[in-house]
Amino acid sequence: MVLDRILATLRNAVSISPRVKRNLQREFARSALAKLGLVLVVAILLVAIFAPFFAPHDPTEQRLNQSQLPPLGFSKTVETTSSEFVDGEITLVNETTTVAAKPEFPLGTDSLGRDMLSRVIYGARTSLLVGIMGTLLAALVGVPVGLLAGYHRGKVDDTLMRIADVSLAFPSLVLAIALIGLWGRAAVPVPDPFVAAGFAGEMPATFVLPGTVIIVVGLVNWVWFARVARGEALSLREEEYVKAARALGARNNRIITRHVLPNAITPILVLGTIQIAAIILLESALSFLGFSGTTLSWGFDIAQGRDYITSGQWWISTVPGLAIVLAVVGINLLGDWLRDALDPGIEGEGGGP
Amino acid sequence: MSREDFDRRSFLKLSGGAAAAVTLAGCTGGDGTPTPTESGGDGGDATATPTETATPTETEEGGDGGSMETFDMTVTQAQMDSGLDPQDHAETPTDNIVTQAYEGLLDRDKQGGIIEGLSNEWERVEPGTVRFALREGVTFHNGDPLTPEDVAFSIRRIVFDDVGIPSPQSTDLGAVSEVVPGDGEVTVNFEGLNPIVFQLFATNGEIMQQSWVEENDTDYINRNTNGTGPFTATSYDSGNEVVFERFEDFWEGPAAVGQLTFNSASESSTRVNRLLQGETDITVNVPPQEISRVQNSDVASINPVPSTRVIFCQMRYDVEPFTSQEFRQAMNYAVDLDSIIENVLDGFGAPTGQPTLEPFVGHNPDVEPYPYDPEQAEQLVEESGFAGAEITLQTPIGRYLKDVEIAQAVASQINSLSNVTCEVQQREFSSLVQDLTTGNIEDKPAFNLLGWGNGEFDAAQTIIPLLTTGATLTVLENDRVDQFMADAQSEADPEAREEILREANAFLHDLAPWVFLHRQFSVYGVSNRIEWQPRTDEAIDPYTASLR
Amino acid sequence: MALGRFLLKRVLQGILVVWGVITVVFALRFVTPGSPINAIAPLDASQETRQAIAEELGLDQPLYVQYANYLFDLLRGDMGFSYIKGQEAAGLVFQKLPATLELAVAATVVAIVLSIPLGVLSATRRNEPVDYGATLFSLGGISTPNFWLGIMLVLVFSVQLNVFKTSGRGVGFEDVVASVFTGDPFLDTLITWLSFITLPAITLGTYFTALITRLTRSGMLDQLGQSYVRAARAKGLPETLVRYKHALRNTLIPVITVLGLQMGTLIGGAVITEAVFAWPGLGTLVIQSINLRDWPTLQGSLIVIGAGFVVVNILVDALYAYVNPQVVYD
Repeated sequence: MVLDRILATLRNAVSISPRVKRNLQREFARSALAKLGLVLVVAILLVAIFAPFFAPHDPTEQRLNQSQLPPLGFSKTVETTSSEFVDGEITLVNETTTVAAKPEFPLGTDSLGRDMLSRVIYGARTSLLVGIMGTLLAALVGVPVGLLAGYHRGKVDDTLMRIADVSLAFPSLVLAIALIGLWGRAAVPVPDPFVAAGFAGEMPATFVLPGTVIIVVGLVNWVWFARVARGEALSLREEEYVKAARALGARNNRIITRHVLPNAITPILVLGTIQIAAIILLESALSFLGFSGTTLSWGFDIAQGRDYITSGQWWISTVPGLAIVLAVVGINLLGDWLRDALDPGIEGEGGGP
Repeated sequence: MSREDFDRRSFLKLSGGAAAAVTLAGCTGGDGTPTPTESGGDGGDATATPTETATPTETEEGGDGGSMETFDMTVTQAQMDSGLDPQDHAETPTDNIVTQAYEGLLDRDKQGGIIEGLSNEWERVEPGTVRFALREGVTFHNGDPLTPEDVAFSIRRIVFDDVGIPSPQSTDLGAVSEVVPGDGEVTVNFEGLNPIVFQLFATNGEIMQQSWVEENDTDYINRNTNGTGPFTATSYDSGNEVVFERFEDFWEGPAAVGQLTFNSASESSTRVNRLLQGETDITVNVPPQEISRVQNSDVASINPVPSTRVIFCQMRYDVEPFTSQEFRQAMNYAVDLDSIIENVLDGFGAPTGQPTLEPFVGHNPDVEPYPYDPEQAEQLVEESGFAGAEITLQTPIGRYLKDVEIAQAVASQINSLSNVTCEVQQREFSSLVQDLTTGNIEDKPAFNLLGWGNGEFDAAQTIIPLLTTGATLTVLENDRVDQFMADAQSEADPEAREEILREANAFLHDLAPWVFLHRQFSVYGVSNRIEWQPRTDEAIDPYTASLR
Repeated sequence: MALGRFLLKRVLQGILVVWGVITVVFALRFVTPGSPINAIAPLDASQETRQAIAEELGLDQPLYVQYANYLFDLLRGDMGFSYIKGQEAAGLVFQKLPATLELAVAATVVAIVLSIPLGVLSATRRNEPVDYGATLFSLGGISTPNFWLGIMLVLVFSVQLNVFKTSGRGVGFEDVVASVFTGDPFLDTLITWLSFITLPAITLGTYFTALITRLTRSGMLDQLGQSYVRAARAKGLPETLVRYKHALRNTLIPVITVLGLQMGTLIGGAVITEAVFAWPGLGTLVIQSINLRDWPTLQGSLIVIGAGFVVVNILVDALYAYVNPQVVYD
């Protein structure tokens, strides 16, 4: 019974009216950028989901004697210096060698000989999982709070908004770092369904989900959803049909779920896409600073590659960075499309890295 | 000042709440001379003979500052200090900073030989008693003269927990029982022989002024200096930078360096960039992939020395699965040490199979490093009964040359065994060391990478602090090892002693409390504008630097 | 007058928020795993030290007394003692604050100076190359992780071209100002200061430049299409007046709103930028104190950051009220 109610609410909320559908289609046809955004996002989603099939190698497999190989087309000669230890003295031995790119590692290898392409592919999983789950958590917390605040106004509104203010006073990154520092970097190993089913046998059997990170990024971002939901509720409560429903004696919760929420959904959806992008950037920043529970992440690779940029192995940092840019650009373009089509009046980009 | 403040301050003065992480830079002492017998001679003359009195060897070259124009210098390490109290830390980066302002009774030259410090004559009076004559005319930075009472106070503050602060260096001077100041000299009594006492005093035991320590609170002592050394701190930006100015009345003559700045950058690329941009003059731990870039520039060059530091992964003997000797040995077989040295370190390292490095007293030449044998490793894991074990290797970040990558490689090699899972956990260095120096073994990490610098060139100074029961940094409790060390430290005949130590090393190879890794090479980047030779004990002495 | 009352209300609200921040931070002490003593004392602390800390924290006293003590200590500027570093936490925090302020202000100045003209230009020359360029730039700007941008900038401008310093903060703005009064050469000091701060400021400011450009552009487009603009033009008002006095002013209203909201992002971005450039500010201190488990310093930093955020928002509100006097009467 309860489950039916919840499902009905959700279906109500995300039901798309024909008018909205038309807006979406028209905006899509009109805008080249929207098309690009969709292509990018779908591509990254596919790559993330089917990672074991796209990745040519196990992303965690080290090959110490094949480290620092360049991407295809960037073979070069390098000067390396090694040492000889004779009679307690170290002599430096310079040699010039040609480091050739290998087709089996199209994007090169990192400092421990792991395949960059495979790591980028699996990194997409981490970013998308954290982004989507974090956003869902933030929405699940923020939307009800905001709706309640905006609908009931008065004391409820004031208290909830003060809490939101205090929450906002801690910049999300700082709060995230502090919370992770306090609670640790708990990670959950999730069995990879494809490997478990018997396909792609050489790929890692489990995938590490940085649990604390997801909870933390969700917690620091709920306020944006609360604000938008509150704004919607504030204006919607003055609508005729809402007033009518109240006059007829309908209970408040029912009004909120049946009337207010479905109409508030569009700006929340737009905010959601912006939030996913913001959380992906936040997660990569946390990984970069060493506060993530997983080592298979774009931010982590950028941090690892930092020591190699100036010595000529630029790809270790550059490739994951480009991946982040492409992913976030795609999501932002998609968000722009949604915003232009659904509600051009939305200003302000909630959230941020 | 409120009552609460007063209570806290006075309390701190008395019992020293200053924490300051103690890291394992270890008591890097001077590098001994490569011929072990010479430094061994220290422990040999148990009966007091005149030969024990060290002939004053030449003091360190340096300090031409009086006649020349001064120049400014900057040194960039990987970490900053944890406070300027020289007796309240145990990390090399902190040591390198505080020893600009503070010095000990004895010192070392570039090769590690023992030379004069604040004492210009020292002798072993009896088996358990030594006497140091104090140099005259030495003043502290505040102008007060150095007195024997200051020396006695400093030693007692280090060794005794109830004098001043409980110092992490309390075992670094040996088992001191009493310190007696005399007229221009200090006598130190030990429980037992302490065969390497002068080695210890050449590396440790910075002298502070008693009245200054007693009059100031912990906060002040950690932010200011008042020593006898060639530099005095003029500006302290915690965690970022310390600026020194030369001490004009330094007893050996003022330094050539007028202003000395210590800063830090934990990313090696940042350090190298600063070096090549001329923003710093000396930098540590240049990674192999950057060496060519430095060599090819005309701004700086590479100055490598084999360090007295050994790198290893220690395993707590009381935590499963490390309780099993087979398992520990399996870990050693699982690691492809040669590949790590060649590929991760570009050859900048020498493999080890025992806790003692090659030129040290007690090194056992018949003990070879463990070979790479993953099949043997898996078999041993099975035999140990801990198949399927899941372990985590903790590693500091950027403290040792390529520490994170070495840890990742080790973990990955162990992980590729079919019956063990291993992953890496990165830790901030000071925080890791804090965990390691806690009194209770239960609070220590089970499996972590570490480096230990041993400047005394003697096996005992690695084995005792790291592998004997109850020692500050130990993760091992083994009766035979304890017995070996007790025997060695009470053995007067140097050859017999060395034999005991060799046996101990062979025993430890088999016992495998560590995954033995390598001897670190210190790769310094030095600006071409100055002339400076590094020391094997990883100490940095700008006093000896000069303009080219 | 109404503006004064409005600001007073905002300030009072701000104080309330700061009090909330302090309370949350105080509570953190009890949320950390292990007893509060363990949170503050280093692991190798002796029994006496632990005793002293327990007394100082007043752990034997009821919770509200501890809380009150904490509040009163804060009012006196006492943030507790960092046993890890052996120094007063407040000293550490306030020593690092100017560096972060300098970076944040520099980044904001860069952002505003670049983005508003760019946004206006983009809107008024819609669909011309300038517009495309600005759109691309701003899209890239909000999608690029700023730590990666910083690393790339260092690679190009410091290492290859040798124009800027790679890291650190050798000379601060206060030194530039001071050099006017002391004998130091002003121009040299100024140039040195710029060589240190330019890359970090650009790194931190890029996200905001991109964001504000986008907002200004869309806001302007919105305004320019409105009837009052057409009316003004019909009346013969010069174009520049129409654009800058009217349309822009109305555009700035939502821009300022967003700016205020984004201050948190600015501070978060500052933490990352400080990590990339080894900039000795509050951000570096926060990360250090977490890694070293130095809770007093962490708490002090969080409070200062939170309070700073509130102050900035009040200022933004004041600016907002100036631009849009209507809001005062809400």
